[in-house]
Amino acid sequence: MKGLLIVSGLGILAMMAEIFKFKKLLFPLVLLGILGAYVANFMEWNSGFSIAVFDNMIAFDKVALAFSGVILATAFFWFIMANDYFEDMPTVVDHFSLVLFALTGALMLTAFKNMTTLFLGIEIMSIPLYVLAASKKKDVKSNEAGFKYLIMGSFASGFLLFGIALVYGATGSFDLMEIRAKISEMGSGMPSFFYAGIIMMLIAMLFKVSAAPFHFWAPDVYQGSPTVITALMSTVVKTAAFAAILRLFMIAFGGVSESWSMVLASVIALSLVIANFSAAVQTNVKRTLAFSSISHAAFMLMVVLANLRSNATLDALLYYSLAYSIGSIAAFGIIYNVTKNGDETFDSFNGLGKRNPLMAACMVVAMLSLAGIPITAGFFAKYFVFTTMIGTGYKWLLILAILTSAVGVYYYFKVIIAMYFKQATTEEPVTIELSQKVVMILTTLFTLALGAVPGFVAEMFKF
Amino acid sequence: MLGYTITQWLFGILSFLAIMFGLMVVFSRNPVNSVLYLVMTFFCIAGHYLLLNAQFLAIVHIVVYAGAIMVLFLFVIMLMNLNEDTEPQRTWLSKIIAAVAGGLMLFVMVGSLKGAGDMGLQQYGNAQIGFVKNLGAVLFKDFLFPFEIASVLLLAAMVGAIMIGKKEAGES
Amino acid sequence: MGSTNTPTDYLPIVLMFIVALGFVVTTMVASHMLGPKRKTKIKLDSFECGIESHGNARLPFSIKYFLVAILFVLFDVEVIFMYPWAVNYKELGIVGVIEVFSFIALLLVGFYYMLAKKAVQWED
Repeated sequence: MKGLLIVSGLGILAMMAEIFKFKKLLFPLVLLGILGAYVANFMEWNSGFSIAVFDNMIAFDKVALAFSGVILATAFFWFIMANDYFEDMPTVVDHFSLVLFALTGALMLTAFKNMTTLFLGIEIMSIPLYVLAASKKKDVKSNEAGFKYLIMGSFASGFLLFGIALVYGATGSFDLMEIRAKISEMGSGMPSFFYAGIIMMLIAMLFKVSAAPFHFWAPDVYQGSPTVITALMSTVVKTAAFAAILRLFMIAFGGVSESWSMVLASVIALSLVIANFSAAVQTNVKRTLAFSSISHAAFMLMVVLANLRSNATLDALLYYSLAYSIGSIAAFGIIYNVTKNGDETFDSFNGLGKRNPLMAACMVVAMLSLAGIPITAGFFAKYFVFTTMIGTGYKWLLILAILTSAVGVYYYFKVIIAMYFKQATTEEPVTIELSQKVVMILTTLFTLALGAVPGFVAEMFKF
Repeated sequence: MLGYTITQWLFGILSFLAIMFGLMVVFSRNPVNSVLYLVMTFFCIAGHYLLLNAQFLAIVHIVVYAGAIMVLFLFVIMLMNLNEDTEPQRTWLSKIIAAVAGGLMLFVMVGSLKGAGDMGLQQYGNAQIGFVKNLGAVLFKDFLFPFEIASVLLLAAMVGAIMIGKKEAGES
Repeated sequence: MGSTNTPTDYLPIVLMFIVALGFVVTTMVASHMLGPKRKTKIKLDSFECGIESHGNARLPFSIKYFLVAILFVLFDVEVIFMYPWAVNYKELGIVGVIEVFSFIALLLVGFYYMLAKKAVQWED
């Protein structure tokens, strides 16, 4: 709860920076604030309880705190990484406050206990992102990205509201626990429109995590948005959306999983196939990573599908979102530096092994992790997901996931091959800011460390 | 009257008008006319809110939606260049696909509504929750957190609108 | 606000609407029927202060109008929240005052931000 309050306060502080003209101080203040939020979050975790205000609406239990921790840590790295892009902008304050508001929404999504908080969280997270996606005002692609994201996002919000209304109509409550109680009380006697409501909410959430067939916006939005914003979307937003899905479908609708699990299974299968095969034929790096994020979404959805009521589920999802977020921050940081001249094809990576060996090495680790090659965090992330799936009846999905992962390796390796085996047109070294260099090295080391001691997360998060 | 109560008559008339104006929003060629029909649709829906004993929502619906949001709609239409010759012409293929998709949607809706007879509708809670007084009591006690956090949502929208809509001094 | 509140209580309002609408419709129809009609090309032309009109009226206009309108909507929504508070003012007491004032304070930051950004200033 303190983390949420600190982050929303920071957003308002950013607005005050515009009013009272302390723009230069804003970046260190924001970094300190995020760190403070993280520490507050950590202390709430250790003390084992959260201040119980608004207890009926939002509750930072252990699960919520764990996901908040992942989000805040990612956000901390993201701010250092992205500062180079924002620094010289006249609208730096607007960008910072929008990102912080989006972060507020993301934290709400980890801890909501009520449908109203869920909806508000999604809107608070999405509305700043619509604007941020379109923030390169003179760039047609960026405008298109913002517009598409807005239209599709509003559509999804409509579905969510309709679903909430139907669920309310059937259960008479917005509260997750009360809905759960009602389900176990009524059993199969729930009216049919209740299930329609669940499916509508599922569709809306799948829109938000860009799972196929609701993924059409993702490639265009990821490609058109400024690279740092794409990094934010594929890390913080993804993690928050999955925390929300987990909460919604395990707490509230866990009792009627047979009504939505088949839909979810087919969505996962579609996402795996469409994402990996589409990614393989792309030439734009950001677009490829957009498709890759769809395939990662499919993996994370598998955890929800497994619907195991045990620590393994939470561990798997946490580990996956941590590994994916950290890897993505490193990858997007490097993409941001490499594509500064506007060329976003794979060719822009040609000869990076010579032009900046350190960056190339970090990129290799990030790509290996995203591809799920052993000793990196990404491998164990996938491994944990597979272990949750083993006991369930979805073995075919497991086989499909392994096969499509093999396709995935191909397009991740395209970057590595370009970096080391292709001749660059220019020999001039790629420069990188010192702060970004630190982030790159830290995230890379973290990826390797997570892979070296995969039990670490499970050990740390004893629920 | 014909075995129906006055409420049922009102419901029928309002529903008919709402659907008719809704169709006219879609069918009218001039976008400005569409917006005006949409205003009428909103009035009909506000009437429905009244029938449901939710006066506050009805008034908010008229003040915010029919009043403010519709002005925004009109502005958007005027911001864009919607002359007939600049409108994109849709191909036959996309028209057919749209018709098929819409037809499927209708099919699903009719199919799901067919079984709606046994919906087991029941009334939850207080039937007079829609009154301003009762609504306020709930809003400022149980729903206090959403109420306060809604200000963050409004702020985010404000910052976003200003960032997109305002040219900065240093911006080209 | 007794428990007898039913939709039929709105009958006077409905009657008022009917009378108001009826008055407008009657006068418009009557003036149309009674008045003399002389239609000429010049009389039916759209005009603008005597200058020959040319082109289409559908010209894109400045985004500034839109920005003002959108900010108006945001503060409009803020004001909406005050009605339930005003009605419950006595019951909510000092707690309600604190709740609503903190809400307003947050939006006041937005208001000053808007001024600092010169979002409602016409000249750039």
